Amino acid sequence: MINTLTIALMIAGLFFFLATTVGVLRFPDFYTRMHAAGKGDTLSSLLILVGLALYNLHLLSAGNILVTIKILFILMFIFLASPTATHAIIDAGYESGIKPWANENNREGQDDLAD
Amino acid sequence: MIWQIDIMILTLIVICGLFAISVKDLLGAAVVFGAYSFLMCLLWTEMGAVDVAFTEAAVGAGVSTVLFFAAVHRSSRQVKARVSGAMLYKGLGLLASGLMGGVLFYASTDFPDWADPASPASSHLSPHFITQTIAETSVPNIVTSVLADYRGFDTMFETAVVLTAGLAVLIILRLGGCRTAGPIREKNAAIQAAYKDSIIRFVTRMVVPFMQLFALYVVAHGHHSPGGGFQGGVILGASFILLAISYDLKMALNRINEKAALLLANTGVLIYGGIGFLCLLLGANFLDYSILHRILPATDEIAARSHAMLGVEIGVALTVMVIVMIIYNNIVSNGSYEKGL
Amino acid sequence: MSNFFIASGVVLCLFMLLALYRTIFGPTIIDRMMGANIIGTKTTVLLIIIGTIYERVDMFVDIALAYAMLNFIVTIGASRYFAHHKNIRAEGYGVLNHTPAKGQIND
Repeated sequence: MINTLTIALMIAGLFFFLATTVGVLRFPDFYTRMHAAGKGDTLSSLLILVGLALYNLHLLSAGNILVTIKILFILMFIFLASPTATHAIIDAGYESGIKPWANENNREGQDDLAD
Repeated sequence: MIWQIDIMILTLIVICGLFAISVKDLLGAAVVFGAYSFLMCLLWTEMGAVDVAFTEAAVGAGVSTVLFFAAVHRSSRQVKARVSGAMLYKGLGLLASGLMGGVLFYASTDFPDWADPASPASSHLSPHFITQTIAETSVPNIVTSVLADYRGFDTMFETAVVLTAGLAVLIILRLGGCRTAGPIREKNAAIQAAYKDSIIRFVTRMVVPFMQLFALYVVAHGHHSPGGGFQGGVILGASFILLAISYDLKMALNRINEKAALLLANTGVLIYGGIGFLCLLLGANFLDYSILHRILPATDEIAARSHAMLGVEIGVALTVMVIVMIIYNNIVSNGSYEKGL
Repeated sequence: MSNFFIASGVVLCLFMLLALYRTIFGPTIIDRMMGANIIGTKTTVLLIIIGTIYERVDMFVDIALAYAMLNFIVTIGASRYFAHHKNIRAEGYGVLNHTPAKGQIND
């Protein structure tokens, strides 16, 4: 039963990561890409880590429970820190003056594409 | 060795590495180099070398990348456009690295097979370490016991080298001289004063105590799990760098000012050498820990080695933490300790 | 079960390859930072997966936690660079050529 739950959670996590990657590749603008990356990345990591933490509880010994709690610590840290990092990156982009993407009909802001 | 994941990681590493050296934007190169370091640590882990992976993650992927950012912040972001005779230098470099690489490839055919138990590396000292570590030192982590006990001289000189590197950075950047280089940035003073991002400050305030506690755990638990003095010290230093990044440099300098920092760095090396000297005073060889059971209460010779290893790891962690802070402070503010990243 | 973990590790690496495209060919520098952040987070997950395949997760959990912390620090440090330098493009070489007046310390 634990195996089934782990497989289900990990497949869900991998599906959300696929969605993140497709979003990062296909969205037209920096802000929208960051939107996809920040949220999808965190959610997929959380799902996969919950699956692995559950898989660890096959044998209920004190060592295994400690390892599961440590994986939950990693989970909490990623939940706290990854959206903050996303916020910091978007802030950096905004301060540097990248303009949001606008539709073809009314291009009031140009995407700053340069390297 | 999981060959499927191995191939994928190696592909990623090669692509990252090739790109990191070919881009002209130095900040982009630093970012991709950080990603390369992360993947390198993954490779070490997948080969089973967890202590090396921990050190690579802490030093290479964490602190080195931030130091690159500080250096690019202080200098410029573009590589020099045209150097006279560039093609000659590039041709010479290609020739030299091609020759060296060819010689190394030719020599690598002489290596024994991977993990061959009859190879010279695995047949003289390694069986002794693997079988006798717990009986002689009661420390399960063989890497820590080799680093801190069997090869204790090397680690002591490595700590001294770390201290020397910090002193070199101090001498170059702090003692006059280069403090006048750098453009005037008046407008940045207003930006620095106005930049108060409360989200990042709040999360930093919550994360830094746990980071430091985790670093102390890594130092103390190095006997039983991957860790030890270097890794814990670097994570401690990185927590101060996080404070300096999200607030300003003054906040980190208020925690440990320069005089206290230098005192702590020297204390770390003194602890290491002092424990060795204490063994000399008690009548044994230098860094022969087993004689310390005469002054430590309720230990025998084997446990005394384990406790002394913890002592030297604490010394190493102290020095490394302070030197990481000193190097970051000096590079990011060009020695004047006024404005940070 | 071990085969499933190996397969999921390979699939994760494959997706990281796709995210690496954004790191390499991202039009702006900040796209590269975002790609590096994604690679860092997924490496943390991959570490625990490798630990589960080797059936010694207790050795790999500490490394994963340190990884997550350092990934956070690198991303915050990279984005703080842009609080001082306001342009996305790389400025020209020669920023250091400014020579200050005598006795004036620049920062």
